[in-house]
Amino acid sequence: MAIVITILLPLAAAAFLLLMDSRAPASRARWWALVATMLTCAVSLGLASQFVSTVNSVLPKRGIIEPRLEVHHTWMTVGETPAGEPIHLEIYLGVDGISTAMILLTTLLCISAVLVSWTAVQERAAEFYAALLVLEAGLIGVFCAFDILLFYVFFEFTLIPLFFLVGIWGGPLRRYAAGKFFIYTLAGSLITLLGLISMVGMTMQAVPTLTTPFSMPALADALATHPLPAEVQGSLFLAIAAGFLVKVPLFPFHTWLPLAHVEAPTAGSVLLAGVLLKLGSYGFLRLCLPMLPAGCAAVGMPLIAVLSVIGIIYGSLCALAQNDIKKLVAYSSVAHLGFCMLGMFALNIEGITGGVLQMINHGLSTGALFCLVGMFYERYHTRMLSDLGGLATKLPRLGVMMVFIAFASIGLPGLNGFVGEVLALAGMFKVQSPYLNGMTYAALGAMGVVLGAWYLLGVLQKAFFGPLQEPVHDDHAEPILDLNAREMLAITPLALMCLYLGLFPQTLIDLIQPDINGVLQASAAQAQAVAEQVAALSR
Amino acid sequence: MFDWLQQNVIWMIPAAPLLACLWIVFVGQFARRELAHRPVVLALSVSVLSALYLMFAVVPKTFVEHHGEAHAAHAEEHPAEHAAAEPEEAEHPSEAVSALAAVEPSEEGHAEETHAAAKSVTFLVYNWFDVGDMHIPVLLRADAMSSLMLLMVTSVSLLVAIFASGYMHGDPGYPRFFAAMALFVFSMCMLVLAGNFLLMFVFWEAVGLCSYLLIGFWFHKPSAAAAAKKAFVVNRIGDFGFILGVFLTWTTFGTLDFQQLFEDPTLITGVAHSNPAIFTTICLLLFVGAVGKSAQFPLHVWLPDAMEGPTPVSALIHAATMVTAGVYLVARCAPLFMHAPLALLVVSIIGAITALVAAITALTQYDLKRVLAYSTVSQLGYMFMSLGAAAANPEHLMQHAVTFAMFHMFTHAYFKAVLFLAAGSVMHAMGDIIDMRYFSGLKKALPITHRTFLCGALALAGFPLLSGFWSKDEILSVLFAASRTSSPYALAFSIIWAVSLLVSLMTAFYTFRAYFLTFHGPERFPEAAGHHPHDAPPAMAGPLYLLAFGAIFVGLIAGPTHLYAHYLHQTPGLPTADPHPMNLVMMGLSTVIALAGIGMAYALYGRGATAPAPDAPLSPAAAFSYNGLYLDQLYLALVVRPLRGLAKLSETFDKQVIDRLVDTTAAIPALVGAVIRPFQNGMVQNYAFIMLLGLAACLMWVIQAVAG
Repeated sequence: MAIVITILLPLAAAAFLLLMDSRAPASRARWWALVATMLTCAVSLGLASQFVSTVNSVLPKRGIIEPRLEVHHTWMTVGETPAGEPIHLEIYLGVDGISTAMILLTTLLCISAVLVSWTAVQERAAEFYAALLVLEAGLIGVFCAFDILLFYVFFEFTLIPLFFLVGIWGGPLRRYAAGKFFIYTLAGSLITLLGLISMVGMTMQAVPTLTTPFSMPALADALATHPLPAEVQGSLFLAIAAGFLVKVPLFPFHTWLPLAHVEAPTAGSVLLAGVLLKLGSYGFLRLCLPMLPAGCAAVGMPLIAVLSVIGIIYGSLCALAQNDIKKLVAYSSVAHLGFCMLGMFALNIEGITGGVLQMINHGLSTGALFCLVGMFYERYHTRMLSDLGGLATKLPRLGVMMVFIAFASIGLPGLNGFVGEVLALAGMFKVQSPYLNGMTYAALGAMGVVLGAWYLLGVLQKAFFGPLQEPVHDDHAEPILDLNAREMLAITPLALMCLYLGLFPQTLIDLIQPDINGVLQASAAQAQAVAEQVAALSR
Repeated sequence: MFDWLQQNVIWMIPAAPLLACLWIVFVGQFARRELAHRPVVLALSVSVLSALYLMFAVVPKTFVEHHGEAHAAHAEEHPAEHAAAEPEEAEHPSEAVSALAAVEPSEEGHAEETHAAAKSVTFLVYNWFDVGDMHIPVLLRADAMSSLMLLMVTSVSLLVAIFASGYMHGDPGYPRFFAAMALFVFSMCMLVLAGNFLLMFVFWEAVGLCSYLLIGFWFHKPSAAAAAKKAFVVNRIGDFGFILGVFLTWTTFGTLDFQQLFEDPTLITGVAHSNPAIFTTICLLLFVGAVGKSAQFPLHVWLPDAMEGPTPVSALIHAATMVTAGVYLVARCAPLFMHAPLALLVVSIIGAITALVAAITALTQYDLKRVLAYSTVSQLGYMFMSLGAAAANPEHLMQHAVTFAMFHMFTHAYFKAVLFLAAGSVMHAMGDIIDMRYFSGLKKALPITHRTFLCGALALAGFPLLSGFWSKDEILSVLFAASRTSSPYALAFSIIWAVSLLVSLMTAFYTFRAYFLTFHGPERFPEAAGHHPHDAPPAMAGPLYLLAFGAIFVGLIAGPTHLYAHYLHQTPGLPTADPHPMNLVMMGLSTVIALAGIGMAYALYGRGATAPAPDAPLSPAAAFSYNGLYLDQLYLALVVRPLRGLAKLSETFDKQVIDRLVDTTAAIPALVGAVIRPFQNGMVQNYAFIMLLGLAACLMWVIQAVAG
């Protein structure tokens, strides 16, 4: 039940905001939004604790994908199995460790997103916060969905509120940016949909007894005993990957991202970088790794490893060349998600764990970076490095936070980024597959760590250190002040989480480890099934 | 009480400065900011005492076991450890981990037994993370090598902190300075105490962070901000090699734990039998890390710029402690390097090149702190030369090579710290001016500074019986020994030995050039100093005298008596060797060289000569040396600019090619639409006409099919 509440609460709040008098002052809408996001966060914490206690109390029966606290609802019956049993489409919600972690990240970032929009958004505020809350509901929905159709619906649904957030409250090029981002990701995910439907269809042919073909756990279990042929897995992987590759985004499908980030309002950027991009890697983790392990190993690993490594180095180089800080952070996201994907497609426990940690870590540190960029944009109305200098002297709190978050993002040990990066790289380093030599890719990826330090410390050096340099701002007579309590409240929880996950990463690892083990079981189970088939044939 | 200390003294060493740091961050920066040094000085005193206790009362208990039956008992007690080390079972290191975990002295009841069994003192703080084959506990581990290193780190830190309380007095960032200093000492102690490679890497980066924060302490100065970034990024290049070395160690041995790797030789010898080539790769990768951190050629360029930080920072981080971490890393990994003579040769060659390049650069510097910085780089080069000397005959020379490098590091910490602090005292008196072209003849005005600087300078130059003399002399003799072996590397070591003699001469020369230019000649002060410069106040004078005392006597106490060497030899994993006889010829030779260098400096600069005017042109050779062999400019042209160009290129490529491609693809549906659109224009006649055409085509096809 908690799951349904977590999804419906922000939706209800959004509906309430839309019903409010549109001439009501922005102050009322933002308070409601803040209360709603905080309540959602509290409910998601409750959900998490309920999940943890379920895991501890229920006997461990590990399937490949095994959500807890499930909610099943038969949606429609679409046919019969040869044995005469009805085949359903379901509304199937649940959470496992990975989705719990992602939901907590989402609800936490949404609070910060509301707080950084507090004064920045004055026009049509009620609608803005409504869109933000709808987006939150959609994101939570994606992470709760364990039915492929439902997953896809939520996956696409998140585009709509973000489209409006960018298209209405964005910068000067907002329409172009919103359209590009919408159409690009939609086009990609349509191919994904085709791939998913063919995968389900083929599985139904292979396993005629399957009654809920769109349920992820059922599908993964069916495929574990009746794996699809390796070549088929390869082509299905490519089709399904199309949408996720754009979403992550991996090189060369990333060009919508810097544009969307630059044009998006701060809250949009925070959620886009913090959570939306993770939908791509989450999709790989849910729908490719457990269902198509042979395809992932033969096609996915070499393809993704090459694209990730290019993304890491190329993204870092592009970041290095930027003058616009927001664009710089956007390109750094391309590099960071390269680490995430490099780890995930090492297809071993270290790598996948590193990849998932990197999803959370990038959400925290890049979300916080975008918050900070928004904060000084609000003060100076510029994001250009060349216009700014020595801000740490004038705005010491902003300076301290920026240094802290920059080092988290660089992957300084003791802060969150390090463990994820090390595990992702170590996982890839260990890979000795016939398709690629993991050491080389890990070594190339590790070069991104050097470049990362270069461009982010470059931002600190230019904008925050050195003699004070401020852009001319005669249109506003109000003095430029350091971060206020509201802004500190927006950034401090993120910073504290960065520190906590850096010092005690095992908390998070324990949460996600069983699910990753499940994913890894899939490949072993399928390999065993293939071996048995071969043995049966030879007999 | 003492039982409790036995168990817990190890974590108190890093914990005390960490607490001090937290205190300043949460309390000290808000109330009585001018007293921020107190928690740090107090904490560091605790650390020094704990380090002494650890060194003399705790660690020695693990020594006995090296000889006799205790070892056999240990082996019987833990058969899993030995089994895991067999080559065929080396893939299952997790069992060995659990076997070792049982030995950790966490259970008090077994304290006595564990101390009898373990070869090192350990303390498990908590389990950091544990994924698959990667088990990373926050495990503190002390053996002979680390306790010697800890004593050096904590004692120099304490003296520098006291000095800084005088030197930094009145600075608006006073609490920030001491918080960062405390954080540094914590990180450095943790680096030394780290029980596995990854934890060492963690604090390797952490000291880099502290260095970044302290170099950029006066961050409103553009040069300080730039130097801080340069230091961090150049260090990251080294760290890149280090982390790859860690990964390769992990995949090769299946563990990163020092206890497993170094206290039981079977694991390493197993791999040495099956895959000897891998050692060279691992060691070279680890050495890349050392090159970055210890400012060795070609990554040494960050250290001279790091002098932008406050002088106590230069003394502590960029001379005495952090930069020696690379030497410590290589010495710690001696059991690995044992099997990689080629890597050792590279270590020695890089050390020799660094020592030479830095010494050449130091010859013409006018900035007193830069002279000292380059001399630090050069002395670190000595340590690496020494470490690498084992290449000629790893079995017999490794122990001496490591001992002498570590001993030189030990003495260097004291005499370089006193030199830097004295330079800081000069800077303090001269109103933050440190260019020797602006002042001279300070002997009378700053008597304390003059005396202590002279002690440090004599020690650095290798004046007989002072500390630098003992340690440098031993390095020269081990290099000489290496050149006298029958190994194929003997010739290389002859050259390296010759380089070391030359560098020794240059060291004596540039040190005394700086001494004479600063303290002798006509008395001149810069305007910034006012008319009556003040010598060091008591808070600064005390540490100066103590360090000067160290610079004179540390070598004498620990060198000829072999106290240091005998203690260090108890480090588990370090091969044993025949005792090293004192080489009187070498001593004579190095005395002559030191005196010759000092004499040359006296002849050129000692007789009332002053430095040329600041704007005087330099001869080409002098300019070459003054600009550090133009290496900075070379890197700018060969690395930084091309990378920036590549970055610009990538950005343009992104906009002009990739995004264009996307937009072009997106234009295809529109294009197709534009072609087809005229047919869908809503005019019924057109539709009828097209229908007619279609019908005709169908008919023709049918007719053809029937006819054919």
